[in-house]
Amino acid sequence: MLLYWKGCMSRYRTKSIVKSVEKILSYLNINYITLEDEGCCGSILYRTGQIKDAIKITEKNIEKLKSLRIKEIITSCPGCFRTMLKDYSNYYNIPFQVYHFSQFLLKFKEKLKLKELNATVTYHDPCHLGRHMGVYEEPREIIKLVPKLKFIEMKYNRNKALCCGYGGGVRSVYPEVAIEVSKNIVNEIDNNIDFIITSCPFCKYSLSSNRVNVLDISELIAMVLE
Amino acid sequence: MDIFDLKREEFIKWINDENRRKGISRAVSSYVSAKEYVLSKMPELEKIRKEVRKIKEKSIDNIFELLKIAMENIEESHGNAYFAKNSIEARKIILDIIGENKLIVKSKSLTSEEIELNEFLEEHGNKVIETDLGEFIIQLRKEKPTHIINPSVHVPREEVAKTFSKLIGREVKPEIKELVKIAREYLRDKFFKADVGITGANVIAANTGTLFIIENEGNARFVSNAPPIHICIVGIEKIVPTLEDAFKIVQILPPYATGIPMSAYVSMITSPSRTADIEKTLVYGVHGPKELHVVFLDNGRSEVIKDPILKEALYCIKCGGCMYECPVYRVVGGSFGYNYFGGIGIIWSAFTSGMEKIAATIDVCTKCGRCKELCPLEIDVPKMIEYLKAKLVEKGYISKRHKEIRDNIINKNNPFGE
Ligand code: SF4
Repeated sequence: MLLYWKGCMSRYRTKSIVKSVEKILSYLNINYITLEDEGCCGSILYRTGQIKDAIKITEKNIEKLKSLRIKEIITSCPGCFRTMLKDYSNYYNIPFQVYHFSQFLLKFKEKLKLKELNATVTYHDPCHLGRHMGVYEEPREIIKLVPKLKFIEMKYNRNKALCCGYGGGVRSVYPEVAIEVSKNIVNEIDNNIDFIITSCPFCKYSLSSNRVNVLDISELIAMVLE
Repeated sequence: MDIFDLKREEFIKWINDENRRKGISRAVSSYVSAKEYVLSKMPELEKIRKEVRKIKEKSIDNIFELLKIAMENIEESHGNAYFAKNSIEARKIILDIIGENKLIVKSKSLTSEEIELNEFLEEHGNKVIETDLGEFIIQLRKEKPTHIINPSVHVPREEVAKTFSKLIGREVKPEIKELVKIAREYLRDKFFKADVGITGANVIAANTGTLFIIENEGNARFVSNAPPIHICIVGIEKIVPTLEDAFKIVQILPPYATGIPMSAYVSMITSPSRTADIEKTLVYGVHGPKELHVVFLDNGRSEVIKDPILKEALYCIKCGGCMYECPVYRVVGGSFGYNYFGGIGIIWSAFTSGMEKIAATIDVCTKCGRCKELCPLEIDVPKMIEYLKAKLVEKGYISKRHKEIRDNIINKNNPFGE
């Protein structure tokens, strides 16, 4: 069974990411389920040193996913992706595959019929997806599928990408710092950019606080589906 | 207000301090472009930095053996070697050598900051003058350093001009060349009048007991050479087995520290100054110092070595590159740390000064991992930060917000509590 794990951030804050992912999945006629009682993956607990609680959540989630016979999980949140794939397997054998949405989507690129988009975009590498998990190229390949779209790399990209400031629990304790850190990125981008594309709800949330147009990769594709 | 609220206020002050932000952003951009250039010009550094990682791994695993060899070799060359378990011991050893009411010149040493040496020596009636330009500036301004390589990174030229105007009693223009000239003139005779010179060291080769001091200004040469007594204070983690190993570190430090192919000066010091030119009779103290004292500092290092995760922090060669490259440091500068700065600095501060000192600061690290990618030794700072954070949580150091998030997750199944 394939599960789309939405992640807390997109269930509560960046809801259009969930909508977009689901729109794309149904466009592709993919059989999947979502969970009414999804809960938290434990990422923030791992990142803020609350390891005992994180492990409890991990156990609970693995049990639940096992009982539902989930074999594959896609997440649109790199935090969930990293946690389920890397942190969970530090403690347990995980009985499922985990993909970030961008990796999953790329496998279906032949089936995507996309409208033209006359715009210039750049891509911001989320730390949890890029540096932590090594997923750099898939989102770029997806962006390049959109006809007429002009793509410009940021000055600092891939493993040198700057951090959006919202990760690791910083946003909740030191919000002023988080916002200021996100400006590092926005200050570096080219004036001609119409959209910053990213593939993380946290990055989207943080960069959007700077009066720039930010789209998650799912939102970009959902927007140009034929 | 708890420690997290206080720290938050400190961060906000930094964010809003335009002068400090200006200083840091100028330094960051010139560092980054210089480093990129030098790394592209010297592709061989790629191989050397990997060798250095191996050298450090091996050295830290054999540190006590190396310490013994280094100390024996220093003594054999007529130097004096000491081992200090902690900062109290180190300060006492140094005070016993110096005594009171002396003039001391110093070149930059993080290890001396770590043990708060200047304050201690001055309490005993000594006058200590920092001679590294950056250190000199912040000493005059009665501030604390905010970067390990460039301690006055947060002070823009306009502010330096104000400080120097006060020092020499006349108006000084905020022109960098002019400012440097003033420092040169002011410090020149201090080197020769001083009773003692104190330096750190970047590397020590155990097989000869040789100290390596890497610098650009030339002040460390004066400090280690002009006064009759030279004291070097150095952490035990700086020792490597051989001269050859030490040279590898010397090759990567300048490019990663300041974006230059090689520093202006590398001083190698193995013994006090000596001659046997008259009747083959050995006499110490010719043009250089008569006495060389090397104080090896433990101060938590031997404890960290036992920790399989945090041990990696001791591989750090203190190039400071990760600070310039850190997205958070750019914003909050020197408030991201205690006596050492940035992510790696949090770890160093924790084991040299106590982890309660960084209990609130640690939460400003996003664990983004950029430092690890750009570190010449690929030191996994985020991993150590998470590990240390978990230890702090066990001791009860957790912010109200993170606790709230935890309660929301447990009770409401999401971090927002909605
Ligand atoms: S952690 Fe790495 S980059 Fe940072 S100061 Fe140490 S050696 Fe340099």
